[in-house]
Amino acid sequence: MRQFNAVFIDAIRLLRARVLFWVTLGISLFAGLLYLSIGFNESGFSVFFGLYSVESEYLVAGSRMAEQAYLGIFGMFIVNLWLSWIAVILALITCAPVFPEFMQEGSAGVVLSKPISRWKLFLYKYLAGLLFAAIQTAAFCLLVFVALRWRIGHWNPTVFWAVPLIVLMFSYIWSVMVLTGVKTRSVMASVLAALVFWCFAWLAKVVEEKAWMEAELGVSLGVAGPRMLSPEEQEKAREDLAMYSLPFKILPKTTDTVNLLQRWIVVKGDSGLSSSEIASLTMTGEPERDEEAEEGMRRHSPAWIIGSSLAFEAVILFLAGWIFCRRDY
Amino acid sequence: MESAAVEIEHLRKRYGRFEALGGVSLTVPRGVVFGLLGPNGAGKSTLVKSLLTIVRPTECRGTMLGERIGSRRILAKVGYLPEHARFPEYLTGRQIVAYTAGLANVPARAAKQRTEELLETVGMKEWADRKNGTYSKGMRQRVGLAQALVNDPEIVFLDEPTDGVDPGGRIEIRRIIEGMREQGRTVFVNSHLLGEVEQIADEVAILSKGRIVEKGTVESLTRRERLFEIRSLGPVPLTLKPRFEERGMRVAGDTLVVESQDAEGIQGIIDELRGEGVTIREIRERRSSLEEVFLEAVERGKEDPA
Repeated sequence: MRQFNAVFIDAIRLLRARVLFWVTLGISLFAGLLYLSIGFNESGFSVFFGLYSVESEYLVAGSRMAEQAYLGIFGMFIVNLWLSWIAVILALITCAPVFPEFMQEGSAGVVLSKPISRWKLFLYKYLAGLLFAAIQTAAFCLLVFVALRWRIGHWNPTVFWAVPLIVLMFSYIWSVMVLTGVKTRSVMASVLAALVFWCFAWLAKVVEEKAWMEAELGVSLGVAGPRMLSPEEQEKAREDLAMYSLPFKILPKTTDTVNLLQRWIVVKGDSGLSSSEIASLTMTGEPERDEEAEEGMRRHSPAWIIGSSLAFEAVILFLAGWIFCRRDY
Repeated sequence: MESAAVEIEHLRKRYGRFEALGGVSLTVPRGVVFGLLGPNGAGKSTLVKSLLTIVRPTECRGTMLGERIGSRRILAKVGYLPEHARFPEYLTGRQIVAYTAGLANVPARAAKQRTEELLETVGMKEWADRKNGTYSKGMRQRVGLAQALVNDPEIVFLDEPTDGVDPGGRIEIRRIIEGMREQGRTVFVNSHLLGEVEQIADEVAILSKGRIVEKGTVESLTRRERLFEIRSLGPVPLTLKPRFEERGMRVAGDTLVVESQDAEGIQGIIDELRGEGVTIREIRERRSSLEEVFLEAVERGKEDPA
């Protein structure tokens, strides 16, 4: 426990010492404040603490839709854009030097000469990276939690699902970054590898989704718009589905993991609106159900999404840990 | 009987086709300052890192403090200051020592007490709360020494401890090493600064091309070639010079250099000089310096590929 504490405290000091940590945390808190500045009244809603007011029939103080929309902003913009993309990229860049710096000559020697196993050390360092993402997301969620109480009128602890889910998503990419960092001892190489891998994971998701739509719904999405497939084309798409969905099945499901938030954040007294209706309400002011999107989102169980992603992560981590433990310093 | 601090029966390390250590065997008794000497690339750091599990030896048989080399448990009794030690810039001196204490599993209260004591010992108490990034090289080495001692080790490995440190700092580090010996610790010093090792080490080994080419106490190694220097008032007479040179002595001006294991061996020469009416102004016993022993051993090592 003393060894874990030593590494943990050092990790916190390391984060505090990094400018990017404060920049990221600052921007997170600023985004949180912006969110907090959105309020509802009898005739509609306002932003920037009442600086701009917008009239709305649905989004009025005390209405369920206002609550749904407020959560929709959180889920669509803040989680989907800020927390799951920008904040993660900043976190990856901030954490990138953790392993390569540790493995420099003169740094690792002191630590490795102590009675702590290399596997433990590796794991502690890995967890230190997750700590960064956790602190950042937790601080943000705390603001959202307070904002919901202030603007909607009741506490909604389900927003804290964002912490484990974002950390989980971060961990998939972080594991690849760790593997590259351990193998090459290069910060630049590990950042690039992580970003390229992330793009691959996203691309695999897009390809699988397209293949599934063609095979199961008979709809092909092209540049010119959606097109219905002939029965032969659909049959061919069914045959090819396994091949096109293989990379998606193997790689971690970054987007799907974050999308679980939309399933797990619930509103008190459930208004019956689905996630696509909340999205539509947030964007257009009118709740419209998108059946395809709903079905697409629910066709994989959370256990499969998280389990298969963690399996991939475990393999990558084992490989990275094995290299870390076998290496001469 | 208490085992040796380090007893290496056979240690070999290969990096691909390059052999960094080729079957080293070495014994370091407890409670001594042991100097491992060798030119750059001889394998000194590799040897120490192999003992500390930082490097995985290709083949290793031996014990350290009575336990198998490679056992993690024994590392609780070991301190280490690596060459070019790099501690995080964002930590203060006090935090570095406390961090190492945590990794070495030192109980919190003991760690705190020892941190304070050690910072005082190495003369860093005044600057203990400043960030490592603001320290000079000498200050960093002092903090490095403090962290190496925080777990109250029985054996301390110091890899080039005075590298980059100014003369004042070197004297201070020497004093600290002597203090460690007085406390009964075994100190294993890797260095290429022979003069310094000669001043503090009880025993040395010379490593060249991954092999031990010489080992023993400093006393025995430097005594191996014992010389006496006799200086006369005025030059050595020309009548005596060829006679002395024939017998392998070196004559230069007023100085006569005689190889002899003891003072008995030069009494006849003094008589010869006195017999010729030479006034003897000075007789001085001279041993080989460690530097001379080192250079000779390294040369020997180069000639002997086995």
